Amino acid sequence: MTDTPDISPIRTAVSKNLGARYRAELRFRAAGLAAVAAAVGILVILLSSIVSGGLPAFTVNELELTVDLDEELVDPSGERSEDSLRRGSYSRVLQNAIRTEFPEVTGRRELRNLFSLYTALNATRLMDEVLEDPGLIGTQHRFTMPLADDLDLYLKGLLVEERSFQPQGTLSLEPSDAGVVVRSTATDFRDLAAEIARTLRARATLLETEADRLTERAQELSGTEAEDMLYDADLNRRQAADIRARLEIDAGPIELDNSLPSILVESEGRTVRLASLARNGAGGTGEYLLGGDSVEAENAWSIQVIDTPVERRRVSDQLIVWTRALEERGAISSTFNTYLFANADSREPELAGVKGALYGSILTMIITIIISVPIGVFTALYLEEYAPKNRFTALIEVNINNLAAVPSIVFGLLGLAVFINAFGLPRSAPLVGGLVLSLMTLPTVIIATRAALKAVPQSIRQAALAVGASRTQTVFHHVLPLAAPGILTGAIIGLAQAMGETAPLLMIGMVAFIADAPTLGLEGFTEPATVMPVQIFLWSDGAERAFEARTAAAILVLLALMIGFNALAIYLRRRFERRW
Amino acid sequence: MTDTSPNPAAELPIKVVARDVTVSYSGKQALHDVSIEIPDRSVTAFIGPSGCGKSTFLRCLNRMNDTIDGAKVGGSLTIDGQEINDKSIDPVVLRASVGMVFQKPNPFPKSIYDNVAYGPRIHGLALTRPELDEIVENALRKAGLWEEVSDRLNHPGTSLSGGQQQRLVIARAIAVNPEVILMDEPCSALDPIATARIEELIDELRENYCIIIVTHSMQQAARVSQQTAFFHMGNLVEYGPTEDIFTNPRDTRTQDYITGRFG
Amino acid sequence: MSIIAIVALAIIVMLAGGFYVGRSRAISAVSGATARLHSLPNFHGYYVAIWTGLPAFILLAAYGMFGSGLVDRLTAMELRRDAAALTASFETALEADTETLALAETLAVLRDRADGVAEAMADLRSASGSDRDPARLEALQSEQTDLVNQLATAEDARLGRRAELRDGVSDEAAEAGASVRALAGFELAHAPRERRQLFLSDARRIATDGLASRASPELDAAAAVMRRHADQIRNLVAGIAIAIAFGGLIRTRGQVAAAFRARNHVESLVTAMLFLSSVIAIMTTIGIVFSLLFESLRFFSTVPLTEFLFGLQWSPQIALRADQVGQSGAFGAVPLFAGTAMITVIAMIVAVPIGLLSAIYLSEYAGPRFRLTAKPVLEILAGVPTVVYGFFALLTVGPAIRGFFAMIGIDDVVTQSALSAGLVMGVMIIPFISSLSDDVINSVPQSLRDGSYAMGATKSETIGRVIIPAALPGIVGAILLAVSRAVGETMIVVMAAGQGANLTANPLESVTTITVQIVMLLTGDQEFDSPKTLSAFALGLVLFVITLVMNVIALRVVQRYREKYD
Ligand SMILES: Nc1ncnc2c1ncn2[C@@H]1O[C@H](COP(=O)(O)OP(=O)(O)O)[C@@H](O)[C@H]1O
Ligand SMILES: [Mg+2]
Repeated sequence: MTDTPDISPIRTAVSKNLGARYRAELRFRAAGLAAVAAAVGILVILLSSIVSGGLPAFTVNELELTVDLDEELVDPSGERSEDSLRRGSYSRVLQNAIRTEFPEVTGRRELRNLFSLYTALNATRLMDEVLEDPGLIGTQHRFTMPLADDLDLYLKGLLVEERSFQPQGTLSLEPSDAGVVVRSTATDFRDLAAEIARTLRARATLLETEADRLTERAQELSGTEAEDMLYDADLNRRQAADIRARLEIDAGPIELDNSLPSILVESEGRTVRLASLARNGAGGTGEYLLGGDSVEAENAWSIQVIDTPVERRRVSDQLIVWTRALEERGAISSTFNTYLFANADSREPELAGVKGALYGSILTMIITIIISVPIGVFTALYLEEYAPKNRFTALIEVNINNLAAVPSIVFGLLGLAVFINAFGLPRSAPLVGGLVLSLMTLPTVIIATRAALKAVPQSIRQAALAVGASRTQTVFHHVLPLAAPGILTGAIIGLAQAMGETAPLLMIGMVAFIADAPTLGLEGFTEPATVMPVQIFLWSDGAERAFEARTAAAILVLLALMIGFNALAIYLRRRFERRW
Repeated sequence: MTDTSPNPAAELPIKVVARDVTVSYSGKQALHDVSIEIPDRSVTAFIGPSGCGKSTFLRCLNRMNDTIDGAKVGGSLTIDGQEINDKSIDPVVLRASVGMVFQKPNPFPKSIYDNVAYGPRIHGLALTRPELDEIVENALRKAGLWEEVSDRLNHPGTSLSGGQQQRLVIARAIAVNPEVILMDEPCSALDPIATARIEELIDELRENYCIIIVTHSMQQAARVSQQTAFFHMGNLVEYGPTEDIFTNPRDTRTQDYITGRFG
Repeated sequence: MSIIAIVALAIIVMLAGGFYVGRSRAISAVSGATARLHSLPNFHGYYVAIWTGLPAFILLAAYGMFGSGLVDRLTAMELRRDAAALTASFETALEADTETLALAETLAVLRDRADGVAEAMADLRSASGSDRDPARLEALQSEQTDLVNQLATAEDARLGRRAELRDGVSDEAAEAGASVRALAGFELAHAPRERRQLFLSDARRIATDGLASRASPELDAAAAVMRRHADQIRNLVAGIAIAIAFGGLIRTRGQVAAAFRARNHVESLVTAMLFLSSVIAIMTTIGIVFSLLFESLRFFSTVPLTEFLFGLQWSPQIALRADQVGQSGAFGAVPLFAGTAMITVIAMIVAVPIGLLSAIYLSEYAGPRFRLTAKPVLEILAGVPTVVYGFFALLTVGPAIRGFFAMIGIDDVVTQSALSAGLVMGVMIIPFISSLSDDVINSVPQSLRDGSYAMGATKSETIGRVIIPAALPGIVGAILLAVSRAVGETMIVVMAAGQGANLTANPLESVTTITVQIVMLLTGDQEFDSPKTLSAFALGLVLFVITLVMNVIALRVVQRYREKYD
């Protein structure tokens, strides 16, 4: 059919390097997909790390004790007046209650240790209960309080690694002057002894390699630096030799110190911590952490190994043993953590909650809404519907666009300089926080409102004007109602943003530790308060590990609120959306 | 359905053959069973009222419909006897040999030189800079633009006037030396003088290419084309030598259209 | 508060009444033929209502904002007046006290020495050639540190002695039977700033029957004074508010007549209100500029601008004394600029490729279904509060980086590093870049894409050679906006970057940024006038100027770009 001499030279030319071009295409496409996947993956990691970090904080291990509200302790002057009740010694009441659980504890240091099962701040909570119901005085009262934060973490399995064995032989415990001798009829401890010997040997080897490395490095250097290194190397070698010597002593027991796992022998209300392990693996010596009587041929016993050594954890074996005992006796139960929501901030993680911050956020957001929404909408109305197009309105426009991109912390500086120092408004107050956030949110509201107003077709305005409505009537009767859903969504998104904002509030002192929630009322606006994101910031740098979970939990609460807000915005947009 | 004479210019070799081509956009049919044979080295004009499917058919010829979500093409379309909707035909290769010029001039935001060099570059047609320079110069000469822009090849393509831009786009299309050139209302955005230049250009290009042009202007079709096809509501109503269509239309719809009764 | 609430309620009632009165008066003025009215009866109602309610409510709002501050100030003034005699005797005691004098002398000597050292250091620093002597500089530096410590001790001793004397005077006065109010005033006048605030807030709590942090007769006395002032001011405000409202009602009621142009009045009021609202945005900018400028100028009167902008050492804590920091060289902000720049660069290295590529993928490749699921993910990333990102950096990213480097044998990596802050900030910026570039890419006209595809270009060729070049100005604008955002971001760096003002190029070290230092300088208790505090405003000014310049350029570029393709 064709009589073209050379059949499509262009096609042959193009086909030549088509493969390479398609490979490039594929690579580019893969890169794009990888970028999206990276964004999604990061979000997943972010959320899962926060959820997994925060979930433990939603439950709490509570210690329930029977407290004897002895009149003499609780009501020193015996007149049942508030004043007298406030002077009562509630911490003594709590101390007595815990002492009845462990009557064998007598030494002063041991007692102090025992009282650290809970925080002393619980005495105030007990006082509040008594003040609420003075009829409790003189009765036996069931009082629940959260367990100390670290022990709570222990029970949640977040603090240490541990395991337990069911032994083969029968147990005998013989108290002696040098502690208690533990014996099993089988070689139940043999594996443990071998394991610990292995750990020690590995440690010695590590020290020696490090020593060799230091020596080698020292040869390349000279002067004091080299000397220091050689000294360190020598030290390492000596430590290694020590460890090896300890292991080599023929058939002698292996000493257990704080750098090794703790081995606990438990039997029927007694717990012994081993201080040394016999080489034959059939027992060792130790000390009683719970109970103290001797035992012969006991069948019901177990071996508990806490792999995290004492020196690398924050709770002692003794506290763990007491906690386990209380749990066994049914005095500890795990429940939903109401403290997290019912309490304001506290120095003690187990009592710290988000109520104060939540109230602060609510008060701050009220001010923000009251100020930024009307002013933002009015400004947008003016610019969009009234303003003549002149230099001044152009200036306002540029100005608003720039304000939207000004770093939030600068608004904080403005708040500090103007609202606090010039106007003399109170520091740390939701009023000032709300004012600052309003100014920050204003551009967002204005821009969203203008977009919504622009979307209302010109024909509607012309129709209204044509029937003789004034400009104001046109705007308020026709344009504004049609633009309302768009305005509302924009405002909600702006407010959600403001609710997550932290930096400017740090500038105006909303970062203080505040143990009382502000009043949800007019006077609350000038009381010192903090807000959710700032609370998160404060907790994130709390020294106690339990604050980590609290922080994540507070983030979850904040995110839930923000998701709620955004869902509302999406719902409103869907519900009222109108297309022209 | 239509009394189409398949090859109105028997002396020229046939380049493009369509058999029962249908197109639908998201289920809505825009083109019904179009069959046509288009000869090489001549200008074929598509006329017809707006929305009748001229552009749609044009886009089938270089498979630009592939880039539209929901577009479906059926039937058979061959260029030089080769089925272009075939799986083995790569649209990239096809489009390199079927150039297209659009209604609104769309030079890339690059220099005049880079615009013309675009095709040779992506297809790897020139190995050295002098080679590329030569291709660019040739294309611009063929498009009748060389005299006007040879001293400012580095200026952005968008800095040219509308008519110049359209000629630049034509130069861009012919720089890869295609076999077929599709033009979708190439003059509708231009003033009469620029239009005249483009028409002259089309006439010159006819020597070497198979040109298919969509136009709204009957005069234009009469001036530049050798064959004319009249489309109406997705159907090819009549096709034949341009003179016949304009002087002696066989279908009343054609007659109505060229006498201006609708459109 | 309740009286004010009642007044507010009363005004609302009057406002409603005003509306009704205006309306009905208008109707009766034309005896029911409302067509003869210039404005609809409702407008007469609005007119009366506005003039009844608005001024009174403005007064009440002002009272709500400034009322308690005013009461505090009046109370403090009155109490201080009562304590005038005690203050005088305290001052004589201070003057007569040999210990205070001795301490003051020590302080003066120490300051002189510190001045000398600082001067010598400055000389050495600016010295060149053979005069340079790093060893001596080091010696001077350690001497300076010593002096700082000594100064601090001496200052503490002086304050301690002062407190002793103060307590002595007040104890004596109490024994001699001075009035409790005088004692309260004395306590208030000579307590440190934060104690003063605590005293006043306790007094306020007692006055409003709340729970104070402690109880004392002085507090009770202060509370009594405060209650009196509060009552007086409240009653005054309430009275004036009612009077204004009533006056407005009477006056405007009289204006209602058939020919009265009520609608025009109301509408111009509305317009004025809208206009005033839009002025607030301008006022905000002016407020920012002036407050930053004003405090910065005060800062630059003690620390030279060049020192601040080009100095290499940042340690505001070493500042010995207000008039001396200039020479101590502790306010060189270059390490902060460098830290900010490093973190921003890291963030951009993360955010630009991921953000841009995902925008391209979503707008050019992805099907509508995929787009619908992937876009919300990016939106969620954008909505996550920055404090959450900071926590993420602290909890997950920092330790992960440390673990990674430990794995490849680098052990001494800190968890708070420029890298961890930069990475997380990059994540925060991703959605910002991707949504802005998405807009930009979508506004590239389809005709350019068609042109390229029609030439036989593949998708990636079209994107790389046509779409990106066409969108480049817009993308550059987006990136500039993102940079400005990264520079001004605070919480992530505060939580993740550490605080060391290191001048380093190693992203594994901790660095500090402009925003971090602003936070460090302004949180915690500081007197407002120390250069340390003022330097935060100077940093704020730098931050504002940097971001403003970038924003203006970026917005211009984007605007031009939009116009080009509209
Ligand atoms: N991208 C598209 N998506 C959906 N429908 C289209 C598209 N392009 C064209 N159509 C429809 O196909 C029909 C033919 O359009 P077109 O080929 O552009 O007509 P014209 O002859 O004016 O060039 C019209 O009804 C038009 O609505
Ligand atoms: Mg068309």
